[in-house]
Amino acid sequence: MESARQIRMAAAWPWISTLPRLALAAVWLVAGGLKAGDLAASARAVNAYQLMSYDAAEVVGAVQPFLEIALGLLLLIGLATRLTAVISAALMVIFIAGISWAWSQGLRIDCGCFSSGGELGAGESTAYGVDILRDVAFVALSGLLVWRPRSRFSLDGFLLGER
Amino acid sequence: MSKGRERAAKARQIVADQKAAERRRTVTLWTSVAVVLMLFAAGLIGWTTLRGQDDGKVTVPSAAVDDGTAFAVGAGPVTVDVYEDFMCPACGSFEETTGGVLKQLATAGKITLRFHPVAILDKFSHGTAYSTRAAAASAAAGQEGKFTEFHDVLYANRPAENTAGLTDAKMIELAASVGLTSETFTTAVNGGTYKTWATQATEKFSKKGFNGTPTIAVNGEQLNGPDNSVPSTALVTETIDKAAG
Repeated sequence: MESARQIRMAAAWPWISTLPRLALAAVWLVAGGLKAGDLAASARAVNAYQLMSYDAAEVVGAVQPFLEIALGLLLLIGLATRLTAVISAALMVIFIAGISWAWSQGLRIDCGCFSSGGELGAGESTAYGVDILRDVAFVALSGLLVWRPRSRFSLDGFLLGER
Repeated sequence: MSKGRERAAKARQIVADQKAAERRRTVTLWTSVAVVLMLFAAGLIGWTTLRGQDDGKVTVPSAAVDDGTAFAVGAGPVTVDVYEDFMCPACGSFEETTGGVLKQLATAGKITLRFHPVAILDKFSHGTAYSTRAAAASAAAGQEGKFTEFHDVLYANRPAENTAGLTDAKMIELAASVGLTSETFTTAVNGGTYKTWATQATEKFSKKGFNGTPTIAVNGEQLNGPDNSVPSTALVTETIDKAAG
């Protein structure tokens, strides 16, 4: 028999999960929106990691902002929440790896997370630790959604006939 | 009788549960398919936007050297390439500390100094794209044989990042103060004649694997100070001496 507490938690989870879903949606929409307007700058930001040729960086820099916006919109409406949360987490892990790489190589760049990034000027300092911590927090939010994907005000809930 | 009813209720419950599970599977499958397709479509939008980007008609200033990306001073045996953005603070301080020495070396016939204007800081001028406008104006000045003069006066009046930058009118005024008053120059600045050139030159800069400004290269070899910093005047002159043999 389920205890009263378990029943209460089962009812509360969809409400709790709604928060990370909407927060992640906002993160992606802002991150993608800031980059989509200037694809040349986005390409330079990717290029600054020195992980690929400029031609490849150009493609990644163009595709990434739109992918981020799409992920944001999908999380906002709550479609296939578990899958979008897994993809979010995977992308964040890739970003963390990229920033760690830049850090280990002693590159002096802006991560380009919420901007068009690029190389830093002489006076500016890098913030790799902060950037990584922030991305780890986003991975944690995604993880919560992977674990408890059902949330309120989601298309998933509507399609499953939940009220 | 009551036992039979209980069993029937249980059976109905099992069927209902199975139906619910079936529905969950179907919904999960199709929403996942939809999500993958939509993400793919989004990526495609990015790709086509990139491919569809047309620099438009690029007017390359005929006075420019090195694949039409630079303006040269002097004709010495050692080539020194300097890539700069007119809004970049680090370029401003590089010009202050090392710019004079480089120009002297160029005048003395020791080096060929090639200035490559690039525009990577457009986002720091409140949407006026000062970096691109200034680079384009410098090309117009180069075309009139006054690149260095104009370059120097722009750095002497370098606007801080996160300001609107100098207006076109102000740049024309500054040009006049260094003896550049031609109609051709004014028309080119006001008409943005070399803006697409500035964009293309910046792309060529990135393609060379350069990411920041100022980037200095001696005989094609990028020169960095310790810890990827801007090289000091001493390091630059030393490297030039070595390259000269």
